[in-house]
Amino acid sequence: MIALRKQRTYILLSLLPALVLLLIFTFYPFLQGVVMAFQNYVLFDLTNVRFIGFQNFVTAFQDAKFLKAMTNSAYWVFFSLTFQFLIGLSLALILRKPFKGRGVYQGFIFYSWALSGFLIGLIWKWMFNSQMGVINDLLMRIGLIDTRIGFLSDPDWAMSSVIIANVWYGIAFFAIMLLAALQSVPADLYEAADMDGAGSIRKFVNVTFPFILPTIIATTLLRAIWIFNDPTIIYGLTNGGPAGTTHILSSLMLDKIIYGGDYGMASAIGVTMIGILILYTIFYLFVTKSEKVGDF
Amino acid sequence: MFGKPMKTWMLSALTAVMVFTLTTACSSSNDGKKPDSGSKEKVITLRMIESLTSPSRTALIKASIDKFMAQNTNIKVELISPPFDQADNKIRTMLAAKQPLDVLEVRDLNVAEFVNNNYVEPLNDYTGSWSDFGTVTAVAKSVASVKDKLYFIPNGLYQRQLFYRADWLKEAGINAPVTYEELVNASVKLTDAAKNRYGFSFRGGPGANGVPDTLIQAYDADKINVDDAMFLKDGGTIYSSPEAKTALDLYVKLYKEGSPPDSINWGFQEQVQAFTSGVTAFLLQDPDVIQVLGENMQEGTWATAPMPTGPSGKAMISAGGAGWGITSHSENKEAAWKLITFLSSPEENTQLSKSHGTVPIHSSATEDEFFQKGPYKTLLDMTNKPDTFINFKPPFEYPANGQWGTVAMESGQAMLLGQTSVEDTLTKWNEYWAKAKADMNK
Repeated sequence: MIALRKQRTYILLSLLPALVLLLIFTFYPFLQGVVMAFQNYVLFDLTNVRFIGFQNFVTAFQDAKFLKAMTNSAYWVFFSLTFQFLIGLSLALILRKPFKGRGVYQGFIFYSWALSGFLIGLIWKWMFNSQMGVINDLLMRIGLIDTRIGFLSDPDWAMSSVIIANVWYGIAFFAIMLLAALQSVPADLYEAADMDGAGSIRKFVNVTFPFILPTIIATTLLRAIWIFNDPTIIYGLTNGGPAGTTHILSSLMLDKIIYGGDYGMASAIGVTMIGILILYTIFYLFVTKSEKVGDF
Repeated sequence: MFGKPMKTWMLSALTAVMVFTLTTACSSSNDGKKPDSGSKEKVITLRMIESLTSPSRTALIKASIDKFMAQNTNIKVELISPPFDQADNKIRTMLAAKQPLDVLEVRDLNVAEFVNNNYVEPLNDYTGSWSDFGTVTAVAKSVASVKDKLYFIPNGLYQRQLFYRADWLKEAGINAPVTYEELVNASVKLTDAAKNRYGFSFRGGPGANGVPDTLIQAYDADKINVDDAMFLKDGGTIYSSPEAKTALDLYVKLYKEGSPPDSINWGFQEQVQAFTSGVTAFLLQDPDVIQVLGENMQEGTWATAPMPTGPSGKAMISAGGAGWGITSHSENKEAAWKLITFLSSPEENTQLSKSHGTVPIHSSATEDEFFQKGPYKTLLDMTNKPDTFINFKPPFEYPANGQWGTVAMESGQAMLLGQTSVEDTLTKWNEYWAKAKADMNK
């Protein structure tokens, strides 16, 4: 009995360093963030930090910019995820069969995933530039347009443009994950399907798709959360402009900190985002029957 | 689970690690105070951070610091150079967390904020011991002061002027614009979207407020309160006058008819790039672009002119700047001041100004032949006509000024896109500054 207790103490002691680190670097900042959401905490005037209840949330929900960022976030996640997934899946299907130069081709496709989002934002910012950018130049040379398009300065174009850059960024992730899943589909399943006389569409629907479904669920769930949380591309590309038309919640949060020093308001936006993500995850797992997730 | 010897061994290892961590932690916090038995003198380590970082400027500053350290063997300087975009945030975070920091680069934009939070040390008591302080120009002192107290020694001053494409203007038979109206008309005339040529290098993104504010001030020139330049002599804001409406209408025309549509998002980089790559004809900028223009454009294709004036023939001009200050929590203030006086000496400061393209802070330096010709001459010309180019101090003392850039940028973009009217925008700006004044006097 004493030996057992000693052992328990020992195990607890061994876990302590990890737990302390986790508490200091993960839970403390998180809780501090939640506390700040209910404070007037503006960096320009730290002499006036005080609790103000739900005031930050009320101000946020009355702000047209915040509401616009909410709807933008929905567009941003939905279109980015859909196109990243569809194009990524197509690429994975193409890359599944060996062909000459597959390795090199694969390298090019996966390259975007190795870049930082902020850098991608800066690169696309120059590509989208209407006076000096390569996209306008190409479109004019092909003859598709005769006046230059302000991809990032025209509010009708800006949101679509940042989504295009984000799609380009995220295709590689799906291509990598889905290719791995496709390669693990046992070959004898296809042989059996062949013997039953199944065509290629039938094989995809009845063999491939069910086999990679758990991977699809897990990757789309994860990716949606990442896309929702990641402000780097927007920060690099438009910084939310023109006139706040391309802000999503996470870039707006960053904006409040960097340009406003308003940690209270930023934390309130952050807490709202956590709420949305919890609801989303519950809904998603419920709809896709969670027991299939996990083994990818 | 484990045998006894194994357990004892692991426990003692764990204890050893903890003891080691504790001792090193203690010894490192004692580092600065522990007398060094090896050398005769105590070595002081100064931690210094810069804000307006660029690879070339950091190299210049490092060279100066090396010279300083060679002369003062008992002082070691550690320079921190964060990327420009994040530098101010990094400094702010370090100050809020009271991290060890002795010398910091304070900017005109954030000096009020730092003073308000008691982050920086007033330097008035130190200046008496500095023999070169006598030649520091009044403008340099004014930029670095908040309510009669000096908080940093500028390392260079920035002052805007007009850069223009001399070859295009000659070709079109246009003289260099003197007034804002001439500037807008010339911009409209030179704009030819089919050729991808535009008049004005517009800046609608970060830093957008520069042009509309000085344009409105030039139109308000006869009514403005020079000591509090966001306000008129009657106490109202500069946005409350009828002239402000005329000026802002002109500004919208400048964007819609004389600038690239894309420029609504442009910041410093795009604005300068458009000028150097032959897209735009006019650029309003600080002298730190002179070097870039010299490197990227053919000689003779560009020239400089003084800031445009308003209808009364006057322009409001201001100098901005950043410089070295001492943190209020520094433990090595004397050594920090020594470093600052070295970096701010006429030799070091003039050298930095020449290489980096800023206006030097010592009156003795302007006699240098280098500043008497070319693009720098326009700046001196402006200084020599104080009745036409009226100097004012930007509203750096207002804490609200920190957020003004963002507020003006976003509402300005909405106005340029036609989402809000010029009148509504003026009302909004007027309210912002009226509140800023009320908060300040609270």
